[in-house]
Amino acid sequence: MSLPLDPQDERFDEAPRRPPLPARVIAALRAGLSGALKPGALPELWRWPVNLALAAAFVLVLAGITHIVSILSMPSLATRNGFERLSDQFDSNTMSLLPDPTPQEATLPMMDPAFVTAVCPYDLNDHPLTVRVPATADYTSVSFYTAEGLAFYALSDQAAGKVVELDLMNADQKAALPEDEEVTAADRLVIESPSQEGIVLVRAFVRDRGLKSEVRRQLEAATCAPSGGS
Amino acid sequence: MRLLPLSLTLLVAAFLGLAVTWFAVSTSRGLDSVRSGAWVGWPRSGTVKADPYARAAVARSGELPLELADGLVFLAREDDKGRPLDGRCETRIVGILPQARLWTLTVMDDGGNLIANDARRYGFTSAEMIYDTDGAIDVRLSPRARPGNWLPTGARPRLQVALRLYDAPFSFASSGGHEAVPLPRIVQEACP
Repeated sequence: MSLPLDPQDERFDEAPRRPPLPARVIAALRAGLSGALKPGALPELWRWPVNLALAAAFVLVLAGITHIVSILSMPSLATRNGFERLSDQFDSNTMSLLPDPTPQEATLPMMDPAFVTAVCPYDLNDHPLTVRVPATADYTSVSFYTAEGLAFYALSDQAAGKVVELDLMNADQKAALPEDEEVTAADRLVIESPSQEGIVLVRAFVRDRGLKSEVRRQLEAATCAPSGGS
Repeated sequence: MRLLPLSLTLLVAAFLGLAVTWFAVSTSRGLDSVRSGAWVGWPRSGTVKADPYARAAVARSGELPLELADGLVFLAREDDKGRPLDGRCETRIVGILPQARLWTLTVMDDGGNLIANDARRYGFTSAEMIYDTDGAIDVRLSPRARPGNWLPTGARPRLQVALRLYDAPFSFASSGGHEAVPLPRIVQEACP
């Protein structure tokens, strides 16, 4: 898309040499845009509003394209998304407890202060992972996020029983699972990650503030480690 | 000279487009929202089914949003009359909460940070709350200590309140998107 500018257009040459800047801009805009119209197709009186409308439409279309492109590219351009923040600070493929959010600092924005949180940034390139989360005194959930920071799976202790134990693998590793094993290990939850990297996030509810240290201690037993053998 | 109108047009267009983008990602978390009174929720924004606006907002903010199977967040930045929540006012959040295994109510400043206070009280959980006889909650947000369920606001000029419902049995996917569940009313009074 480009502005059709006709070098032969006489109005260019007729433009005064050095008028004040705003006048020059307007003159140039008018000259450029009226080139889009066939000369003489419209009465002289109509040309100015039509030019203005054309310019506005052109700006709007371009602004729309800019907007859409910037929205679509933001996930790949954002360098401080949830995954980046956590994998910068915490070791890959191990479970770490996050410090409690305080007014001064929080590891992630919008954390619920009534929960104790543990994270495991994972990388499935070498091997699948086994995630084991003991039930704490109260509500506990395990959520899985892609490297874009979007959740692809979550389950709570109610859905999983006393100890949440599951295997996290990529599509290839899941396809390589022996078929009979899937049948025998009925209680083994297999989660397929859509991306090689991501985050396992464990949230444990603290019913009362006095119980916080106890819940933290219970959640310290949560692990996230390479699956041993097959 | 001929480049001037073109570059000017491009500049205005780029500015306009980026301004709309900035506005979209800082005020909303996607097009797919559920409203109830002053509360807004984005049930699918944190999931892999999120629309491009939600993806952009999540990438920019850096949060890891709640999965729908885990819980649902409702945010309120205004009261029921549409006035922005002001930490210098006496604000009451009154009503019955929908069925959920548990919920938490958290007060934050405009940027989503917790508000420092001596009591280190940033919110209530469903277990800490003192309920009315009919099961309704009555939370008071105020810069000064109040009897009952008081949350300190630190007299911040702008507040936002997050209501998180965990393990809630109701389905938002089938609710059609508007006025899905009744949530507590938010009333501001005694503003300076």
